[in-house]
Amino acid sequence: MAVIDVVNLSKAFGPKVVLSNVNLQVQEGESLVVLGGSGTGKTVLLRNIMGLLTPDSGHVAVEGKVIAQLSRDELFDVRQSIGMCFQMAALFDSMTVFENVAFGLRRHRRMTEAEVRARVEECLAMVGMKGTDQLKPAELSGGMKRRVGFARAIALKPKILLFDEPTTGLDPVMTDVIGRIILDLKHELGITSITITHDLKSAFEIADRIALIFRGECIACESPADFKVNPHPVIQQFLRGDADGPFLQDPPPPKRKTQEAPS
Amino acid sequence: MVLTLFDKAGAGVLKATDTFGDFAVLAGRTFAAIFKRPFDGKNLLFQFQSVGVNSIPVVVLTSLAVSMVFAVQLAFGFKQFQAEGLASQVEGLAIMRELAPVITGLMLSGRIGSAMAAELGTMQVTEQIDALECLATDPIHYLFVPRLLASMVMVPILTVVSIYVGFWGGYLILVGVEGQSAYVYGNEFYKLLAFRDLRIALYKAFVFGMIIALVGCWKGYRTKGGAEGVGNAPTSSVVTSSLWILISDFFLTKLLLV
Ligand SMILES: Nc1ncnc2c1ncn2[C@@H]1O[C@H](COP(=O)(O)OP(=O)(O)O)[C@@H](O)[C@H]1O
Ligand SMILES: [Mg+2]
Repeated sequence: MAVIDVVNLSKAFGPKVVLSNVNLQVQEGESLVVLGGSGTGKTVLLRNIMGLLTPDSGHVAVEGKVIAQLSRDELFDVRQSIGMCFQMAALFDSMTVFENVAFGLRRHRRMTEAEVRARVEECLAMVGMKGTDQLKPAELSGGMKRRVGFARAIALKPKILLFDEPTTGLDPVMTDVIGRIILDLKHELGITSITITHDLKSAFEIADRIALIFRGECIACESPADFKVNPHPVIQQFLRGDADGPFLQDPPPPKRKTQEAPS
Repeated sequence: MVLTLFDKAGAGVLKATDTFGDFAVLAGRTFAAIFKRPFDGKNLLFQFQSVGVNSIPVVVLTSLAVSMVFAVQLAFGFKQFQAEGLASQVEGLAIMRELAPVITGLMLSGRIGSAMAAELGTMQVTEQIDALECLATDPIHYLFVPRLLASMVMVPILTVVSIYVGFWGGYLILVGVEGQSAYVYGNEFYKLLAFRDLRIALYKAFVFGMIIALVGCWKGYRTKGGAEGVGNAPTSSVVTSSLWILISDFFLTKLLLV
């Protein structure tokens, strides 16, 4: 049985259809990477999985439980086993890094202060953020915030991790660091994960399977090797990173001829 | 023409019902969440601090100003028909029954209700409220309940402070400036009042506290649309809660005085 099962999921905001009939299965211990242009509804997909949005039709099941049918208490139980890393980290800005990471532990685990401290240090070490525990989120850079967000998401030892564009807006080196952290988490903790990214390099490193969302539909969901050679024109255009092709709804501005250097 | 009018009126009624229903549901959920676990004492203490202790200067200053100007007016008014002695009695009546609870309620809706709306609004647009949900924490329980409890307790206490300050504000004018006897003022101030009046004042303050916290949290929680939304939330919270404070003041007075 799949750990995360997205069945015929459709979601629209007013007249704007964001997702239509998306089907995705993620098996235990598997790492799925979801690709897609900006604004194609990748975040909406994750929010449906977390139960922050309710599907218009279809459903999402996590470990066999249909999210939209759970009572709030049951939903909170399921959420304790899912770690969500937000696109903008969404750290609690009135709390220190330590309090952010300790938040779930203090609320859901009967732990002594010393145990909480140990677990927080462990999580911060795992994402390479040791020694920052007394800083406020405002004092961190974008990459550091993301990593603290990771630490907060893994503190409760979830079975599932959802990453929303963990590398967008970071330099290539930090992108690689984040990719390695995700791989480490996967291998050390055996976590099932869904990662949304635009970064093809880390996508191919992380993924067991890659899915591409295009105009609200999931047009491919296969292993990286198959994905690379998929003849679908949209996929090939996405892999090439070319503006010309069927990917964009409006035609892109014409390409300028590169000026020849005066000799 | 007539149809569009009906259409507009209908849409307006529907929207108002919708808004009120949303508020009522969230308010109900807040009351239901009061006794839920886990109990977060630290958070609650922090709210007591920011709602109660930090509001003392504002309440003291406004109560002083209002009670003094009211005393000036009363002294002037009663002097016209040689009844200066009545000024202190009416001052006491007005402060205890109306001025202290209403002034405290209005000032706090500006001070703490707007702060709640701005804080929760910012948390909403920066996805911190979604982050709470994802950490299996009910935002109603974590954010609304401590604020509601703090203002249900603190607004009545601050109303008592306001009554006390109002006594001395009247004293400054009627004894200090108008030259009435301090002993007489001390007696006359309470002459028209019964214990019931203090109780009514506290009831009112309690209801105002509820209105301030619930409206502030609700406006913040329902914030949409980035910086502009966060800017509108406090304004709209102050306007709404002030309005409801004045309306409920009328009905509470009518109900409790008979
Ligand atoms: N709460 C919402 N209300 C209205 N429209 C929304 C909402 N959330 C997302 N959308 C719309 O859904 C589309 C997909 O958004 P999103 O999933 O955030 O894109 P991305 O794939 O870049 O993460 C966007 O065009 C956005 O306008
Ligand atoms: Mg997104």
